[in-house]
Amino acid sequence: MANVMECRHLWKTYKQHIVAVKDVSMQIGKGEIKLIFGPSGSGKSTFLRCMAMLTLPDKGDIFLGDECLTKPGVDLNKARARIGFVFQHICLFRHLTALGNVELALRRVLKFPKEVARERALQALREVKMEEWAHHYPAQLSGGQQQRVGIARALARNPDIILLDEPTSALDPELIGEVIDTLRDLATKGATMLIVSHEMPFAREVADEMIFYDEGKIVETGPPEHFFKNPHSERARKFLTRLIKKTQREQNA
Amino acid sequence: MLELITENLPLLLDGLILTVEVTLFGIFAGLALGTLLAIGDMHGGKVVSTLIRLYVEFFRGSPLLVQLFISQYALPTLTNIPINPYITGFSVFALNSAAYQKGYIKGAMETVFEDQMMAGLSTGMSKWQTIRHVILPQTLRIMIPAWSNEFCSLTKSTAALGLIGFLDLTGAGKTIAGQTYRVLETWIVIAIIYLIWITVFTKIADIVYEKKKIPGIEISV
Repeated sequence: MANVMECRHLWKTYKQHIVAVKDVSMQIGKGEIKLIFGPSGSGKSTFLRCMAMLTLPDKGDIFLGDECLTKPGVDLNKARARIGFVFQHICLFRHLTALGNVELALRRVLKFPKEVARERALQALREVKMEEWAHHYPAQLSGGQQQRVGIARALARNPDIILLDEPTSALDPELIGEVIDTLRDLATKGATMLIVSHEMPFAREVADEMIFYDEGKIVETGPPEHFFKNPHSERARKFLTRLIKKTQREQNA
Repeated sequence: MLELITENLPLLLDGLILTVEVTLFGIFAGLALGTLLAIGDMHGGKVVSTLIRLYVEFFRGSPLLVQLFISQYALPTLTNIPINPYITGFSVFALNSAAYQKGYIKGAMETVFEDQMMAGLSTGMSKWQTIRHVILPQTLRIMIPAWSNEFCSLTKSTAALGLIGFLDLTGAGKTIAGQTYRVLETWIVIAIIYLIWITVFTKIADIVYEKKKIPGIEISV
């Protein structure tokens, strides 16, 4: 199977000493869903941003299909147009309506004519069930609604892959469900996704592979069942136990 | 007082028109140049940013009147080319205002910059496309109130233009007071004309601000 995205021996160091990404390699195939989890501050977000070339890695190679993005002279804007990115802090364009947020890159990057862009943007909003909010500004929407617009903005360009950086962790607990439902929809439609998330029931349901990431490294990988039954590494086991307890507390509350 | 106005109407109008022209030119040219300076300071690299800071320090750190004198009287002794006071007036006001507006624009830009730039890049837009379609529309909305203050102080500074031989509104007042000896009335009339012009313009700026206001984007600087 051809890889949609791949990275080889990726490194990223902040300010000489904080190593956020330490020799990380991984691939993701078409239609695959991989889920990264691990303690906060372990470098997961940095890794994801490096994959999208939003933060430039120090060393190593990233491939989007056949194209190497870490070669000098690559048109990164063009490459990023093929990658959808969903932010932890949502980061909608605050001066544009939901529709305007989704439409902007369709008009300016893909150069669609106005009507075509509008139609495509509305369709993307429909997919996340936000069509009736199309003309609202971000500040007029709840966090969950904003994040659904963020997802629509990422998928409107029909990207090869969608990278999601903790898409629910900045939301109030009662708003997480609607965003997870949206992601589940995307999963059943066959989207290729690399997700950083700690939503364990969701992971168990949709992930083809889970990746435990700690201190800038991939510590352990495997299907969800492997992690929930018998993770090898002590760190993954401890982390999961805490996480599952927390999830249970939240569900009982 | 009414007859004082009607009798000297041509002079007053000429003075007012010049004052209005210089202020409008200064505020809009200053906005355009100030925007470029703000972007240059943030993205132009070390050399460009240092030059821009020196420029800003010079124009903020010396009186406008001195800047006018340098341009009008000092520079020609170096170049031996006499300068038209109108050219001096218009350009010094634009350059001076750009230095102040650069500060407002940069401050407003920094409040929106980081996450919005990353979001713009993530959709495949270039840095410049993001500045143009995302950063600037938000920045300009945020800075309208500061901009309208800058307009007030700019209008009032035009009174200095008379000292380089420019017949602005204050210059017209001086001429009228000298000819009619009605000093008190003349200066009251002049003050009222300034007041009306500043009120009208800032009111328009308020209306534009309200009209362009978008929920979630309000003054934070």
